[in-house]
Amino acid sequence: MNLVSSGIDGFDDILNGGIPRGSTVIVEGAPGTGKTTLGMQFLYNGAVREGEAGLYITFEELPEQLYRDMAAFGWELKRLEKENRLRVLCMSPGLLLEQMTEPGGLFEQLLKEIGCRRVVIDSISLYRYDAGERENLRQTLYGLRTVLRKHRLTSLLLREETEQSGGEPPFENYLFDGVVRLALRPHMGKFRMRTLEVLKMRGRPICEGEHAYRILDEGIHVVPARSMLEDVALLKQSDQVATGIGRLDQLFGGGVPRGTVLLVDTNSKANYKYLVGAIVASHLHQGDKLLAMLSSFNTPGDNERLLALYGISMADKAAARDVWYIEQYDRHYPEAVQPQVLDASCLDNEAYRSWQREKLFPILKEGLEQGRRWFLYYDLNTIFAERGRDYVLKTLPSETAMARSYGMTVMLLCNFSEIGEETSSFLERTSNAVVRTWVDGAYQFAQVTKSPTGKISEPLLVENVAAYPFIRLV
Amino acid sequence: MRDELTLRLQLECTLFFEANPYTLESVQGLALRLGRRPDHLETILGRLVELAILERLGEGQRAIYRYIQPAVAADSDLEWARP
Repeated sequence: MNLVSSGIDGFDDILNGGIPRGSTVIVEGAPGTGKTTLGMQFLYNGAVREGEAGLYITFEELPEQLYRDMAAFGWELKRLEKENRLRVLCMSPGLLLEQMTEPGGLFEQLLKEIGCRRVVIDSISLYRYDAGERENLRQTLYGLRTVLRKHRLTSLLLREETEQSGGEPPFENYLFDGVVRLALRPHMGKFRMRTLEVLKMRGRPICEGEHAYRILDEGIHVVPARSMLEDVALLKQSDQVATGIGRLDQLFGGGVPRGTVLLVDTNSKANYKYLVGAIVASHLHQGDKLLAMLSSFNTPGDNERLLALYGISMADKAAARDVWYIEQYDRHYPEAVQPQVLDASCLDNEAYRSWQREKLFPILKEGLEQGRRWFLYYDLNTIFAERGRDYVLKTLPSETAMARSYGMTVMLLCNFSEIGEETSSFLERTSNAVVRTWVDGAYQFAQVTKSPTGKISEPLLVENVAAYPFIRLV
Repeated sequence: MRDELTLRLQLECTLFFEANPYTLESVQGLALRLGRRPDHLETILGRLVELAILERLGEGQRAIYRYIQPAVAADSDLEWARP
């Protein structure tokens, strides 16, 4: 698709690339939200960065005021006009329509004169007073849209805020290709936060929700929501294992980075087995060795079937000594897997620590000495239930630190609602990435609340699909 | 209208177009922007058209006025010849 860069930092990211060429987009907002600045930035950067000439049509504000105001951002509008890359046109709304529809009229002459590709109209709200009746207004704006589209002009039409909360959206929202809303929201009691939201953009997948923006020295700067600082150091030194769950891989910058700790928080109703299955299977397919501690609800038989669904034979992996299971409950495992089961039941905490040192660590060490990588899957709920909260708080930091130092990838499964807020935040701190999944009403949701890329997601719908990886985040 | 007032309005119109060179307006529209009466402006705009400061497109109430930018070089570098 032919996309036009908006010229506004961060805005193109929200539009997944830019505005479709030739679109007519409404930008609405209350006074002081920066509509004029956004419109002029679209034209200025369009001319300077993209070589696309633009036309700014103002109905009320005089151009001399705009020349002065925009100079504060270092935008020399008069210079661009001299170079035929911009025109700041001052006229009445009725006259514009008249000239737009006139064959060879002033509007067409002007487009030709500068080779115009972008237009901003400030503001279409004036037509409400001119047109009077609602039907006349609809026809007027329909005519405006037709002319702009006919000339394939990518256009921003500024509009004063109209919609009352809970009211019906104005008909222009249906008529035009896109609607962007700028707002000033109360923030932390005594502050205000500027937010930008794309309500509609035909032909583009958009990042939904309100995104904060600031008016800086160089113009409007949008910070897409759910952006946090990426862990550059970690991403640079590690490679990623793609899970096959598209949206998750995208948020993680390609897949689960090796040598990291991934925490999956799941409530009791949520079905997490496909999420866990896809992540475990992707690492086994990549040749990692697996050390797993299954939850009390997930029997070895369930695990065998789950791995089989992802094309992995538990028996074959056991025969190759590529999977190991820490067993806390003395459960029965399939015959072929039994040699790989490490029985930790009936051990008190101190004995368990010694058992780990004497029995477990040599196995991990042996794998590492063979040049193999480890993927550790731990059901933390089991440790909490069997060994207690204090044990987890005392041992987890050193265990995860040790795992990370050997490049092992760790996936921890936990239920935050059972362990309380303080312990949850401790676990979040200990982990490099956090995925939460829960059921609300008729849907299951998943949300990445921490990731090494710094990207966090909105709550995504969890959907089962028929083919590998059997789960999709929408 | 007195000469003094005519001159004042002429100057006002010229300065307006000089500051907003890409204005396209009817007498009514200009009256609104300048805060003047349309009947006062009509004569003044006609005079500015005669002086080739403005261009009139169309006739009567539908006539539109626009600025004719003077063809002068604004940014010239002067260099004194050394004796």
